[in-house]
Amino acid sequence: MNTDSLRQIRFYPWRSVVLFFITAVVLVYGVIYPNLSVLITSFQRAGAWTLVNYREVLSQWVVIEAIVSSLGLSVGTVLLCAIVGVPLAFLFERFTFPGRRLFAALATLPLVLPPLVGTVAFIFLFGESGILAHGIQNFLALENPPWRLRGWPALLLFHTYTMYPFFYVLTGAGLRRIDASLAEAARSLGASKTVVLRRVVLPQLTPSLLAAALLTFMTSMASFSAPLFFGGDVRVLTLEIFTARQRGDAVMAVTETVVLAIISLGALVFFQRYEGTRKFAAAAMKGAPRRRAIIASGKARVLATVVAVIFAIVLVLPVATLFLVSFAREGSWTTQTLPSDYTLANYQRLFADPFASEVFFNSFTMSAIAAVAALLWSFCVVTFLRRRRFVGRRLVSLLVLIPWALPGTVVAVSVADAYGSPGSLLGSFVLVGTFWILPVVYFLRFMPLVVRALQASMEQLDPTLEEAAGSLGARAWQRFTRVTLPLVWPGAVAGTLLAFVIALGEYVASVLVFVPGNRPISIAIASELRDFNLGAAAAYGVVLIVIISISMMVAGKLERLRS
Amino acid sequence: MRLKLFWLACAILAIALLLSCNSGSGNKNRLLIYTPHGQDLLKDFIARYKQQYPDADVQFLDMGSREVLERVRVERNRPQADLWWGASHTTFQTAAEENLLLEFRPSWTDKIPASSRDANDRWYGTYETPQVIAYNSEEVSEAEAPRDWDDVIDPKWRDKVLIRNPNPSDTMRAIFGAMIWRFYKDTGSPDKGYDWLRKLDANVREYTADGTLLMQKLGRREGLITLWDMPDVRLFKEQKNFPVGYFVPASGTPVIIDGIAIIRGAPNQEEAKRFYEFVTTPESLVYAAHKYYRIPVRTDLDRSQLPAWMNEPFTRLPLDWDLLRKNGSEWLRYWDTEIRGRN
Amino acid sequence: MSFLSLNGISRSFGTTRAVADVWLDVHQGEFFGLLGPSGCGKTTTLRMIAGLEKPDSGSIEFQGSDITNLPPERRGFGMVFQNYALFPHLNVFDNVAFGLRARHKTKAEMAERVASALELVQLPGYGKRPVDELSGGQQQRVAIARAIAIEPALLLFDEPLSNLDVSLREETRSELRELVTRLGLTAVYVTHDQEEAFALCDRISVMVGGKLMQTGRPRELYEQPAEISVASFLGRNNLIKAMRLSSSKTAEGEFKTLEGGHTLHLPVKHEDLAPLNKPVFLAIRPEHVQLSTNDHEAENSLRGNIREIVFAGATSTVHVDAGGLLLEALVLRADGFEVDQPCSVILPKDRLTLLKNGRG
Repeated sequence: MNTDSLRQIRFYPWRSVVLFFITAVVLVYGVIYPNLSVLITSFQRAGAWTLVNYREVLSQWVVIEAIVSSLGLSVGTVLLCAIVGVPLAFLFERFTFPGRRLFAALATLPLVLPPLVGTVAFIFLFGESGILAHGIQNFLALENPPWRLRGWPALLLFHTYTMYPFFYVLTGAGLRRIDASLAEAARSLGASKTVVLRRVVLPQLTPSLLAAALLTFMTSMASFSAPLFFGGDVRVLTLEIFTARQRGDAVMAVTETVVLAIISLGALVFFQRYEGTRKFAAAAMKGAPRRRAIIASGKARVLATVVAVIFAIVLVLPVATLFLVSFAREGSWTTQTLPSDYTLANYQRLFADPFASEVFFNSFTMSAIAAVAALLWSFCVVTFLRRRRFVGRRLVSLLVLIPWALPGTVVAVSVADAYGSPGSLLGSFVLVGTFWILPVVYFLRFMPLVVRALQASMEQLDPTLEEAAGSLGARAWQRFTRVTLPLVWPGAVAGTLLAFVIALGEYVASVLVFVPGNRPISIAIASELRDFNLGAAAAYGVVLIVIISISMMVAGKLERLRS
Repeated sequence: MRLKLFWLACAILAIALLLSCNSGSGNKNRLLIYTPHGQDLLKDFIARYKQQYPDADVQFLDMGSREVLERVRVERNRPQADLWWGASHTTFQTAAEENLLLEFRPSWTDKIPASSRDANDRWYGTYETPQVIAYNSEEVSEAEAPRDWDDVIDPKWRDKVLIRNPNPSDTMRAIFGAMIWRFYKDTGSPDKGYDWLRKLDANVREYTADGTLLMQKLGRREGLITLWDMPDVRLFKEQKNFPVGYFVPASGTPVIIDGIAIIRGAPNQEEAKRFYEFVTTPESLVYAAHKYYRIPVRTDLDRSQLPAWMNEPFTRLPLDWDLLRKNGSEWLRYWDTEIRGRN
Repeated sequence: MSFLSLNGISRSFGTTRAVADVWLDVHQGEFFGLLGPSGCGKTTTLRMIAGLEKPDSGSIEFQGSDITNLPPERRGFGMVFQNYALFPHLNVFDNVAFGLRARHKTKAEMAERVASALELVQLPGYGKRPVDELSGGQQQRVAIARAIAIEPALLLFDEPLSNLDVSLREETRSELRELVTRLGLTAVYVTHDQEEAFALCDRISVMVGGKLMQTGRPRELYEQPAEISVASFLGRNNLIKAMRLSSSKTAEGEFKTLEGGHTLHLPVKHEDLAPLNKPVFLAIRPEHVQLSTNDHEAENSLRGNIREIVFAGATSTVHVDAGGLLLEALVLRADGFEVDQPCSVILPKDRLTLLKNGRG
């Protein structure tokens, strides 16, 4: 009820200074300094300040087309993900029926499927000569494949598959937070179920929906693998940047990058402003927790179960396909619907290779370092983001999200540029060619996820709890470890896990800066793909997914450590 | 419990710190190679190299040739790699002109044609790759398969041609460049070449993201015809049992020279030179020819030791590579914006 | 025909039976209380009346028509929730107008009725305020205003005062009662606070363990609890375990206490419920127990010793041990009594109640 009490937690000045110092150092060295050079390059031509790069870029109608396509793709992705994710969240959060737990366990699977592996799986599954198309073609005795995995439908399908969990997870969390008695009050006042949904539930869900929309929008804007592999003739900004770089037109690439970043950050500012007007303290009113309604009616129960089973199958299919590819004999699977010849050779190849265990170890270590560092640092940042009176709050939250708004390639190049040689920044250091460059890049790329997750958890934290602890004589460290940490722990673990898992499969940035001592899994997969060893690449993918599953189970245990 | 987790986190960071120190330690005989040749070939050659020089510590980073160029650019101020093994001569020439490569004259300087090396010794050719027209041999009979460039743009192949996205591919850039050059050399303008590419675009079913997918899709009959390089097509046919056949275009085909170069500012130049020489000995070249389908550039080899197919004669398409390199990007940009997917 | 009837309604959650076979009639214009310890099923009963839960069996009738399966929005009952359930995204005006909007009232009518509802709860001019800026008492009034703005046929309260502090609670209580009476509304009020129920309600039902134990006027319940659970829930009570001695069909029963072995006489109304040689409970309020230091022979007079005297301001509680039977007596002045002093305890026979052995 009293949000002002947030401000009343007193920080001893020296502690604030230390936290601020850590926050500022990471932002200056990790975000501002590397990206400033990108920004400056875009405004320079032959050493002079100029807008000519922008004029040139924006006068090409291909670029305009790419901007429009990127925007259209992102908006479409947001809408489709909302259409899929929100009803699913309602179904699985509000009702209980057979199959519910199965789906809930699988719901976030797409989020952790590495893009490189995911696209390959999609091609084998949904591609025009893939399992589904082939199966239908054979079954209906069609002359041509029933569809082609190309262009807008393919992009939207892949984006929806990989990004709907943002909506599913955040809407689910939002629904759990809504006091069930509000809907009851509305109904007792004469509002029908649809009116309750429209006028009570949705308005309260708005912050969750906006957060999901923003994440989806930004991820979709920076999406690269999908447009590359099955975008067909759809030109999006990330591809234009890639093409410009390939042509050796670095300035144009940089300028287009800035355009992309401006669009993403513009969306961020827009969403935050809107969010600000719709934010209401969840008040200290305690409501009745909602029980999941049991769907008892026969038809509805069957329908809900069928929906759950279908979604579970859709979610698992790409992974199952990957599994199948990893067991198929090389070259044997051409025009058959399913592979005809199975072999363990791909796995034998993988396990016989001392390189393989090394890359798994490298990826694991680097992702863990990046994720843990992101977690620790997030606590520093969030301390400031929580304080309303902190002047730079807006700026800090914007800076934190910049690396997420940029394509991975750009993050890697800007870090490599800035730390390729002893630079102009005070206390600068060289990262290029060292083990540390990848953990740093992973940290920068994925820390926004951890910060957002932690921020969300912190916002739900009743500030009076910390005050109560303070009044009981707990010092700051005790307040933090005994009260704050246990309460935000599940959210923090979830965010950290997500960052860790995505870092495990990172490719686009890794390929530009990895060194022999830190060769990650994605590079090994790409090498196998380049050598035409699809089966071996799939085997790597399967092992990666196994590692990810184990990590998630461990994280599940960690989340429950709170008591 | 909370505190324990905190220490656990600290421990992870500490271990990582130790690891990083290890990996950073320098070694006198350490050699780092950037290469697109694939890990099988690299591991094989490194093992053979180590038999001869047991004290060498050879590492390689395996990535596409354009990615190598990007990296070498990024690392310009603090070069990491010593040797760059593999990329088309056009890419090497670009790197040479950006002053990224070191001059070095191998012992066999005069054993290759002058067109297969940089005039200033910054890169030398090792292998050559002629481009061919490949087709799915189960769907298309040898008799109906296209035998020359202009057969590929025949409307009967509409929606049947697969092309690898040319932007990141030296092979495809060379082919596209050659197609424009065919007309440019007479007219001095790329327009007729563009027309040819438009007709090709009309026949193209899909521009695939990489070579692996290209061959997969050809094998799976998503498309029936493609343009690709001879060694890869043979490798797929013979080692992976793909149903694929090929013809060298009758009117002549561009031949890409695949080269090797030492990176300017390389930390271990001596070791790089030694490896450079090692992989270009006649023995190594013959070995690579048999095992990895690489056609050697050196002219002093005993041709009878090479696989028979390498000695089959074919017509070369003479090209002005410098012009291609200078105008290639502009042509490609035009193709990208005005031609791709618009026919 | 009653205004509202619950006809044997039951509701289970999983294996727990929250409400078991409740029969109840509420009359028009009545302020009706549902009283019981927490977890007794009173809130579930209220929610079934509101339509927020469906009974597993039984039916609910309102003004003669069956409303068991009517969705809550079509019942037209106003409900005030324990946590107020104000919509945090709406201001005070929009909260109060919510039900009117659902009824498609015109703007003018809405404004008028919201204003008068806010007037009634003494919050005029608060319309523009966000609800999270209000104090607990003000939020509570908004919740009431919201419920009465729709001119409900029946007002339901779910412990609406339990989140308020004591002085505010008593003040709001009398205002609430006055408001309901003034508007001539019928109300069902759920609480666990007997004092609150006694002060507010015309009639009260006591619920324990999902069952309706007794219904009656506050005084009746207090002085003549029919059940042991009611007797022990409503204020302090001396519970005496005893066995009936005589089998005569006179209006007077003779009982022997199991502790102390005293003989007690009291009028028996529920004769059939007190079979011979079976332990039953007798109850008497401490304030009805008479103490005297004189040794006088009267009916139901027991000899005992004073064990403890607890001073509580206006009154004192005296604990007496009457030969093993422990009794409490409430006296205005404890002068003349001392610990360990022998005394006689008189249990007036018209104050003794024979309890139904509901759960004994």
